[in-house]
Amino acid sequence: MMFTILGIGFTAPWLLLGLAALPVLWLLLRAVPPAPIRRMFPGVTLLLGLKDDEQVTDRTPWWLLLMRMIAVAAVILGLAGPVLNPKTETAGSGPVLFLLDASWAGASAWARTSDLLEQQLAEAGRAGRPVAMMRLTQPEEPQFQNATAWRTRIAGLLPEPWQPSPDQIAMASSALDGIPAGTEIRWISDGVDYEGRDELIAAARSAGDLRVLQSTREALALRPATFEDGVIRLTIIRATAGPSREVTVLAQGRDPAGTERLLASATADFAAGETEASVDLSLPSELRARITRFELQGQRSAGAVSLGDDGLRRREVALIAGREGHEGLELLAPLHYLEQALEPTADILNGALLDVLPANPDAIVLADVATLSAAEEDALTEWVDDGGLLLRFAGPRLAASDVSRSDEHPLMPVRLRAGGRSVGGAMSWGSPKELAPFKEDSPFFGLTIPEDVTVTSQVMAQPDPTLADRVIASLSDGTPLVTRKALGGGQVVLIHVTANAEWSSLPLSGLFVEMLERLAVSSATGSPDAADLEGTVWTPVRVLDGFGLLEDATTLPGVEGPELVSAQLGPDMRPGLYQNEDRRLARNVLRPDETLQPATWPADVPVEGLGFERERPLGGWLLGLALLLLAADVIATLALSGRLTASRARSGGAAALLALCLLTAADPAQAQEAETDDLAILATDELVLGHVLTGDPEVDDIAQAGLRGLSDTLYFRTSVEPATPHGVDLETDELAFYPLLYWPITPDQPLPSDEAYAKLNTYLRSGGMIVFDTRDAHIANFGTSSPNGRKLQQLAAPLDIPPLEPVPDDHVLTRTFYLLQDYPGRHNGRSIWVESAPADAESVEGMPFRNLNDGVTPVIFGGNDWAAAWATDAEGRPLLPVGRGFAGERQRELAHRFGVNLVMYVLTGNYKSDQVHVPALLDRLGQ
Amino acid sequence: MTSASTLRHKAEAEAGRLPPLLARADHLAGTVLLGDHGRRRAGLGDDFWQYRPVQQGDSRRLIDHRRSARGDQQFVREREWQIAQSVMLWVDRGASMRFASDDSLPTKADRARLLGLASAVLLVRGGERVGLTGTNLPPRRGRNQILRLAEMFSEDAEDDYAPPEHRAMIPHARALFISDFLGPMEEVEVALTKAADRGVRGVLLQILDPSEEEFPFRGRTIFESVGGSIHHETLKAGELRQRYLDRLAARRDWMERLTRTTGWQMGLHLTNNSAQSALLWLWTALNRGA
Repeated sequence: MMFTILGIGFTAPWLLLGLAALPVLWLLLRAVPPAPIRRMFPGVTLLLGLKDDEQVTDRTPWWLLLMRMIAVAAVILGLAGPVLNPKTETAGSGPVLFLLDASWAGASAWARTSDLLEQQLAEAGRAGRPVAMMRLTQPEEPQFQNATAWRTRIAGLLPEPWQPSPDQIAMASSALDGIPAGTEIRWISDGVDYEGRDELIAAARSAGDLRVLQSTREALALRPATFEDGVIRLTIIRATAGPSREVTVLAQGRDPAGTERLLASATADFAAGETEASVDLSLPSELRARITRFELQGQRSAGAVSLGDDGLRRREVALIAGREGHEGLELLAPLHYLEQALEPTADILNGALLDVLPANPDAIVLADVATLSAAEEDALTEWVDDGGLLLRFAGPRLAASDVSRSDEHPLMPVRLRAGGRSVGGAMSWGSPKELAPFKEDSPFFGLTIPEDVTVTSQVMAQPDPTLADRVIASLSDGTPLVTRKALGGGQVVLIHVTANAEWSSLPLSGLFVEMLERLAVSSATGSPDAADLEGTVWTPVRVLDGFGLLEDATTLPGVEGPELVSAQLGPDMRPGLYQNEDRRLARNVLRPDETLQPATWPADVPVEGLGFERERPLGGWLLGLALLLLAADVIATLALSGRLTASRARSGGAAALLALCLLTAADPAQAQEAETDDLAILATDELVLGHVLTGDPEVDDIAQAGLRGLSDTLYFRTSVEPATPHGVDLETDELAFYPLLYWPITPDQPLPSDEAYAKLNTYLRSGGMIVFDTRDAHIANFGTSSPNGRKLQQLAAPLDIPPLEPVPDDHVLTRTFYLLQDYPGRHNGRSIWVESAPADAESVEGMPFRNLNDGVTPVIFGGNDWAAAWATDAEGRPLLPVGRGFAGERQRELAHRFGVNLVMYVLTGNYKSDQVHVPALLDRLGQ
Repeated sequence: MTSASTLRHKAEAEAGRLPPLLARADHLAGTVLLGDHGRRRAGLGDDFWQYRPVQQGDSRRLIDHRRSARGDQQFVREREWQIAQSVMLWVDRGASMRFASDDSLPTKADRARLLGLASAVLLVRGGERVGLTGTNLPPRRGRNQILRLAEMFSEDAEDDYAPPEHRAMIPHARALFISDFLGPMEEVEVALTKAADRGVRGVLLQILDPSEEEFPFRGRTIFESVGGSIHHETLKAGELRQRYLDRLAARRDWMERLTRTTGWQMGLHLTNNSAQSALLWLWTALNRGA
């Protein structure tokens, strides 16, 4: 029993006595001074001998004391276990039995039901009453247990996607007979009537004291969607004829990527006083075929879900005949009977094979088509591999051809004998053959064979080891009529007669249509009845749980076809999606004509709602408040003792700084972003040369100064007018803005990250050029004998670099602006390396240059330390000496000329190379 | 700790901004060494001595353009040395100097050594002889002396408050004492009176941290000297402020009286002010002399 003050109960009220100790604590805290700070201070000598005026220390200020008091009080109150809305009503005694309908109708309100159960169990636990539970949809013998034992099992109590069946009700009634006398029965009802509930009420009333807890939430259900006249009709029903209400129906399905998403929605209106509302949904057939389920928005129950199956979709069947273009009688046309059979249930595609394949039809029918072109064959094989159904009909052309004669053709299920055979004709012995009954493993098993179906001609299969497995229908003499083989994910079916009535009377009979249905060439419209499904076994693919969610059902046993339609739902017959061969059938919770009735109770049975006021323990909040106050106390104490403000105090200052940082953390990122944009605009506004930042400030400065010098040279001498060069950070900067990247090598620069290498490779492939400069006068000859050379090898290994060669004498680089023989920088090394010329480049008589590679070399390797030779200070004076005297200045001039040629080469590509053709052009112009 | 080379580098940088410092030559006879006096050495004087090529560290205004215009090289005109003077430095190496109230401020020791060495550089450039008080490093001339000074400066003493070194003072020389002067005052008095007895005049430069000048403390505090040898605990540091400042002022008064009687000069420098201003003051003080 709880101790209650002002509507707040305390589970441990004696702890509240601790509040009396607060005044004592107040005095104690006032008496104890704050701890001293130790400070280093050389001027301490001047302080020696100074006495404090008062012997009383700085007092702790009253507000800080108050804060601490409140914190302590909050701790005491919190530990005393305060509870808001405590349950104070007195509970009865004796065992309690909870009867739960636990059907789909209560699934939407199940969270409330669980909460209610929790609260009721807590109450029963406090009163020490044994508790048992029984779900009417899964009745078991009631076991009276401790309430706490049941509380752990509430999460496992879930609604089932069916209503209690007569069997289950009988079981529950007999179980009710056996419970101890004086048991209080609390029936948690879903509010929907079902068969046999009256007997159950009677049994419960005779067994004990019955109370009913019933959800006030209206149960809604969705009847199976029907597809008629091009529209999907969705009907929603409710138990009570209440006020008018709008309900939204959602059509869920997979998009082409296979992701489940909302495809369409429609709103149905219940008129006031009506229990039924319906809405028509008109969708394109492509979209319609994708629908996997309809559900009511906001309803989490199996009854509010209608699964889509084959009934919703019309299959697309492509019909292709071999005798296209031949004149003939309509009734002899090879496709006439197929069209007649398929038209009501399937969309027929006509056209050339290669034209219809991209539409990805469900089935392709080849009527007497013997040979296919190689392209058609490949495409068709691929389509069958992906799950297509290829249905072939025999005919004179197939019989006359050599297809699948000696070897089995991939698109034929069997090998064929030459010529076929004819029985029962005017010129042959014997009578027309009839069909043999279908075997049990045949997809046609269960179909009745009309007497008058006879076959006069057929193509004959060669006896093969695999033949017996592939025959799914045969004639009375045992010769195969229909053969089939699997090919990849799909199958190839051959019907050994023609698709018209020339060779047999099969296309004239109803059996033909049924066989097409069984082969899933066409799909049945409307819901099939039990007779249609005779002889088939359907395996569950996905089944619904009580909340309307689909779960995997591969562990469940198969169901007989007639059962699937007629049997009542229960543990053995779950609602869900069932499959047989290629056909899919949905069993929904509701039947097409089912209605819902509200549950009614005898007048003397008390009925309550599910609502209750939840107990709210406040202890956690109070303890949290105490923690917050103590944290504030820490800061306040630091501030008071001068540790937060004095500049030498690190801890407090750091905390304050940290808080500031958190507040302003967003700003630097934004600033950086803006900076990146500015850089991009700068780099794209004008031509900008770039150099890779190596991390060595000296090298980077020289590279920057070098490119500046080169830019100035370009500006003065050519029409290229570059802006100030940029240092490029490979990790963060965009490379695409720079036509040329100068990359000086230092032995200790870090290797770029993988992302940076990806960027570099993209840059190289998209027309950028990188000039690698080992700056070691090429002494290593790109071997590993210099640290820069070794580093270059490491750096360049992950790059996408074409084969290289030393610059040939007739390379475009030698003449893009100046005519050059060598390429000196600060050093005058021997050679530089560029992408090698194609092997077939040959010099042509009378032309000074070979017609070399068409593109621009993506990389140039050298070691002449060009940047140092180009480098100028801000006033344009050379930064570093080159060589000695006039010869050195000449070398610097040549270095600049090389730089000019380099930039020209990058910008104009092989333009100068085309000069090779100038003599020829001149020749032509001058005739 | 500042290494000897960086200390010298910084000192050169400070000294580079001033024209050479020439201590006034008074008490001529006492400090000029006989053999060095005369016309064989460059120095301050009115007579031409020699042209020498410009060296690093020479101010541009020293360049003799008439001579330099005759060739590619630039020359400095040197005059005959007439008087060289000995200047003795004492820079406090006590633990109390190794204190800075904030990370952004240099320690007092850093600043004291910098100023000491900068003055030494100026003096050496002016041709004076610079050394330390005591027997460790007697005054000598030449740039090597700067290196030795820098090396001596980079040593620390263990004591909290080091007393001024007053042994082996050369009579009639000049002296420069740099310290915080927070230690026992008797030692300072002894050193100054002894110096006055020998005719040594000079400059006291007191270097203080801003916190020592302002005493911005509150609350219950235990103050400790840097070496940890002296403690003082107070319950209300804020109450002590006025009395601390009074005592500081009293000490400064006393020091000024002492310097007046002994013919010295006294200056104050806070570490949050620029070193340049302190060096300027030192320069004028040493130049003014007594």
